[in-house]
Amino acid sequence: MSPFRFSTSALDTVALQRQMRDESCGGFASFEGWVRNHNEGHAVTRLEYEAFAELAEKEGARIVEEARVKYGVTRAACVHRVGSLGLGDVAVWVGVSAAHRDEAFRACRFIIDEVKHRVPIWKKEHYVNGDSGWVNCERCAMPGAHTHEHEHGHHPHVHVPTPDYSRQIALREVGPEGQARLRSSSVLVVGAGGLGVPVLQYLAGAGVGRLSIIDADRLEPSNLHRQTWYALSECGQEKSSLAATRVRALNPEVRVEAHALRLDAHNAERLCAGHDLILDCSDNFATKFLLNDLALRTGKPVMFASVYQYEGQLQLVRGDNASACLRCVWPEARDGLVGNCAEAGVLGPVPGVFGSLQALEALKLLLGLPGLKPDEMLIFDLITLSTQRLRARRQPECEAHRRAASSAPLLAPEELEVQFGSLADAASAGFVFVDVRDTREREAEPLPAGALHLPMSKLLTDAATLDLAGRYLLICATGKRSAAAAGLLRSQGFAECRSLRGGLKNLKASA
Amino acid sequence: MSEREIRVQYYALLREQAGRSDETLTTAARDARELYTELRARYSFTLPPEMLRVAINAEFGEWSQPLKAGDAVVFIPPVAGG
Repeated sequence: MSPFRFSTSALDTVALQRQMRDESCGGFASFEGWVRNHNEGHAVTRLEYEAFAELAEKEGARIVEEARVKYGVTRAACVHRVGSLGLGDVAVWVGVSAAHRDEAFRACRFIIDEVKHRVPIWKKEHYVNGDSGWVNCERCAMPGAHTHEHEHGHHPHVHVPTPDYSRQIALREVGPEGQARLRSSSVLVVGAGGLGVPVLQYLAGAGVGRLSIIDADRLEPSNLHRQTWYALSECGQEKSSLAATRVRALNPEVRVEAHALRLDAHNAERLCAGHDLILDCSDNFATKFLLNDLALRTGKPVMFASVYQYEGQLQLVRGDNASACLRCVWPEARDGLVGNCAEAGVLGPVPGVFGSLQALEALKLLLGLPGLKPDEMLIFDLITLSTQRLRARRQPECEAHRRAASSAPLLAPEELEVQFGSLADAASAGFVFVDVRDTREREAEPLPAGALHLPMSKLLTDAATLDLAGRYLLICATGKRSAAAAGLLRSQGFAECRSLRGGLKNLKASA
Repeated sequence: MSEREIRVQYYALLREQAGRSDETLTTAARDARELYTELRARYSFTLPPEMLRVAINAEFGEWSQPLKAGDAVVFIPPVAGG
């Protein structure tokens, strides 16, 4: 007989016992769990058992096999009832036969204890007063590995616990079907920072089958007040792989992929393929609008969240032609317009709240539960604790919708660095040159006439002389200082400034 | 044009510059644009109206939308922090 199975009909314990017979065995021990007429002060009239069969059978068989090996018994089996049971019915039966009684008793005890701890079975009790309630008492969800001390001086046995979703399966709206749905879902999380951390924690905890993480950044000490999953000692490491490691530790059942790169127009479609849902946990409009375009292109839903100081916005873009997209709401938004977390500051729990909301909405979306509507934006002011749901409309002249309909290529995000073969090419692309080198360097290797000179040391004070909308190309010897300068100017609102990738050195090399 | 009472809420940079989250004020502004112009002068808002959105009675609206007594007006800039 199979070591562990479920039965929808009454158990024939005599027949079960017969199957345990073996001529090499000198002893047989069995345990029967019965339906009793009370539980925690309630009078019980009958019971219903429900199991997540796929997982439960596997785990039950593992337990029986563990007992056989551990105690060296000859035969062992366990049968559990599912369905409706009356008072006195046998709910669970364990039988063990062995050469000697001691192993038989102990293996029997081990099996019933472990089944109660580890096998996902739920019990609905019907009380005399007409009430009923699902009880997860069959399983003790223990944090961390739990240790069983067995009598007779045996070494303590430590087993690695398996993920336990009983507390969410107990919800009527989730149930075993919902859990199976989450398990077969695949979610892409873009950004493993303040929003991404709670998102990944909850989605991994909930047992979403596959999680992909994109983040190009490395952990910095200034991240930790809001990205509290990480450790100070891990600063300098890639956030995508730190997050992936933690997802695996939290839930080994989740298949997780880490991509330490920035989403761009070339990789976006490939990276998003095969996912049911995309969560935007990024901190810049370039990425957000790229994801928005992708949603409209592929019809894949994207849940956007953005925070600022003590508040944030949440929006679901369905990717259809009828409902509002991010561009319908923000036709003019671009990076550098309002401050990010670095400049404007943010209180740690603020992205925590919004990441949690994103995770909540994502789970509801996967489970088919009601939530944020496609034409809605949720704004939550965490200073006054006031929330608003604002209705947005699909704008007839929306640029993103128009582009998606024409199947034009995805727009590249406003890259900070651009590469040119020569300065002449850059000039013909409409760039005004800004030399950020010091005077000595500039005299040794001057740029063409018309180039502005804004050495790094004077960047911030002299930036006021630049035009906010100017198309500037920042240039230095190797591209490092100019990239830093461009980043700084972007954050000051100079949305169109770029850095020459590789600097003058690269031009010469390629010339 | 007679003055009416309007409830206004500010978000993000506007909240910072106004130094408050919301207020109820009496204004002669006929539409959302006039109201923003009036408030921009009062609080020295740096953002031009093109860079933000106005919502009237829980619906994103147009700047030309006329205001009536008791309207709840929200000014929201785009934010991208994560």
